Amino acid sequence: MIAGNTSKDSAEADNSPVKKKNPLYEASTQYRNWRYSPERLEAVRTQLNAAAVAKIRNTFEADEPGSSANVAFLSASEEHLLVKLYVSKIPQLCGHFHFPEEVEATAITYLKRFYLKNTVMDWHPKNVMLTTLFLATKTTNNPISLEAYTSNIPKTSASDVLDLEFLVAQSLGFEFAVWHAHRALWGIWLDLQSLTDLPEDLRPQDIYEIALKHVRASRFTDAELIYTPSQIALTCLSIASPLLSQRWAASKTASSSISEPLSELLKDTLGAINAMVTQNGHPPDIESVREVDRRLKLCKNPEKVVGSKAYLARIAEEERLSERKRNKKAEDVRRALGEGADPFGSDLSDKEQAKRLAELDDDD
Amino acid sequence: MSNRANVGGWLQGKTIRKGGVVSTNTHSGRSSTPQVQSTSTTVFGGGVKDVSGRTSEYFSMDDQCPVCKSDRYLNPKLRLLVSSCYHKMCESCIDRLFTLGPAPCPICQKVLRKLAFTPQTFEDLTVEKEVAVRRRIAKEFNKRREDFLDLRGYNDYLEEVEDITFNLINDIDVAQTEERIQAHKKENASLIEKNIQRDEQYAQALREQEEADRQEREQRALEARREEELQREEREKDRREIIDRLETSNTDAAKVIAKSRAEANKRSSARTTVDSVLKSNAQLLRSRAARSTTIPDVPHIPLQDDWYAYEDAYVLMNSYEDPYSEAVRKDRDGIMRAGGYRVDQAWERAVRSAVMGLDLLPLTEQGSFSNSCPADIVMAPV
Repeated sequence: MIAGNTSKDSAEADNSPVKKKNPLYEASTQYRNWRYSPERLEAVRTQLNAAAVAKIRNTFEADEPGSSANVAFLSASEEHLLVKLYVSKIPQLCGHFHFPEEVEATAITYLKRFYLKNTVMDWHPKNVMLTTLFLATKTTNNPISLEAYTSNIPKTSASDVLDLEFLVAQSLGFEFAVWHAHRALWGIWLDLQSLTDLPEDLRPQDIYEIALKHVRASRFTDAELIYTPSQIALTCLSIASPLLSQRWAASKTASSSISEPLSELLKDTLGAINAMVTQNGHPPDIESVREVDRRLKLCKNPEKVVGSKAYLARIAEEERLSERKRNKKAEDVRRALGEGADPFGSDLSDKEQAKRLAELDDDD
Repeated sequence: MSNRANVGGWLQGKTIRKGGVVSTNTHSGRSSTPQVQSTSTTVFGGGVKDVSGRTSEYFSMDDQCPVCKSDRYLNPKLRLLVSSCYHKMCESCIDRLFTLGPAPCPICQKVLRKLAFTPQTFEDLTVEKEVAVRRRIAKEFNKRREDFLDLRGYNDYLEEVEDITFNLINDIDVAQTEERIQAHKKENASLIEKNIQRDEQYAQALREQEEADRQEREQRALEARREEELQREEREKDRREIIDRLETSNTDAAKVIAKSRAEANKRSSARTTVDSVLKSNAQLLRSRAARSTTIPDVPHIPLQDDWYAYEDAYVLMNSYEDPYSEAVRKDRDGIMRAGGYRVDQAWERAVRSAVMGLDLLPLTEQGSFSNSCPADIVMAPV
């Protein structure tokens, strides 16, 4: 395959004297920063969980030595389970608000990406989910007023949504643009119409609906962090109608430097996505999540729990720092006032003035 | 345009005084001779402009406002302006009658506006009217001989233009004539526009040629001066040489003089050839300047970058069967498309995202895993 690769490359170089163009998808932040291999994804989650557990354990110990011994911290997979539950809440909320599909998909992506940089034990997904959804309404240009948003969700205030907003945006690296599989599916469905040998009765609308359902199911999985949106869309179509997906894939040739046909190239990928969507493409079992959530109450970062000793200690530390800053500022002002009555500094003495004038002359 | 040229010809921007100076007049300080005075402080538009761009205004000592009967004796600053129905009125009458909006003319009852008054250029108001009409007609009837197949058609056209002009000047079938003008305007909109542009281009070319000619003239004058200087010097030298030779040599004096003359002639003929080369150079320069006015239209290339947008991976259709965008397409008032939404763009975006990254294989772990482990995450001691 490597040999085929190079020969094709050189052929291309001969054909086109102009610079080789980069595919547009590879310019996206989704490709550059949010594309993982399955193993890497697993590793990121494990490391994040381990680091968080270590930190929280230290906090517990600092608070009260020996207290962390019988705390059962969450594992990476348990964290992921909890996130998945809140991912499944987003479509419900979107249905309630009649948000477009774009908002729903974007909010889910944000939530998943957020928990690749943060841990559930610091920030409960219950709040983060609300923030990501609100952020997604804004970044996809479907704005809703904060008041209308919070008043329609029980037991939610504006600060619940806004307090985390900057943190979320920061964790996302301010990369708000997301490419979605549902748009790719729409595109495939439209493009099927340009296949002349495919009569209309072979592609009834309900196949599209079924495929769209699978795309929605794929959002419960990690597919979008590993595969491209078009591959996910094609897989979902192939689950709904293998014939249509084969015909469409046959009409496309791999544009890059690989000589084998597209269907052959993508066989493994499509199979993997297929397995992922059919096995994991559903909300988690609510009972097991309830168990995780119960344990989370015991092991969440005490610095973030209002009223706990660690929380008070953190607040006190912050208070102390800001107090010191204030004092320093006040001291500066006082010293400035002590030196002369004029806060903008005293008048220049004659000698100094003459010196400065001389300097000015030097410049000329 | 032609009107302007005609009028400018006899006005020439100079104050024309007929019949001597006012103060020398034997009458009681009033002059019956018309004067044309230039003013650049015209508030109202219109009037005929002279070459320097100022409006020349007609002015005479026995002006009298037909409305309020005040004359120059009572009001030395009297200024009469002409309405669109070609009746004269003084400025204070205009202010009084038309400040509050359109009002009927006190003479002919036609409804007038304050802004439609123009300064008077000609003593005879029928001339004033004719100039205005002709100026207007020339703007709209600007066809040329080249626009017609034969001379007959062109002559008929000119006849028609003259008819229309005559009708407008003498108020014959005004409504019908206006209709004819409108019809002509509608029929020949593009041709009129083209001719206007051509006229402008021609004027531009003339200006440029004048400039080139001027430069050439200067150049030639300079050359001539230098030439004269040179010739004078040479003559001087020749004379001295002849005297020297006559002094030193012992050949026949007549022969020596004839030889020197022949040499001088040869030199002057060589100079004339240089001169002609210079002249042809100037001509070449001029023709080049004339050519450079038409700059070829380079096709516009919007943006060039090195991103590949999968253009070859799909073929867009003109229209798709698409129940999802049907509401937008059927929206007859265009409310849903008000923000610039276009269904075909949405389609293209969707189809492009369908092929985008399709052949991009997922990342695999090939030793890069251990390297890319973030260093800041410290494993917890268990």
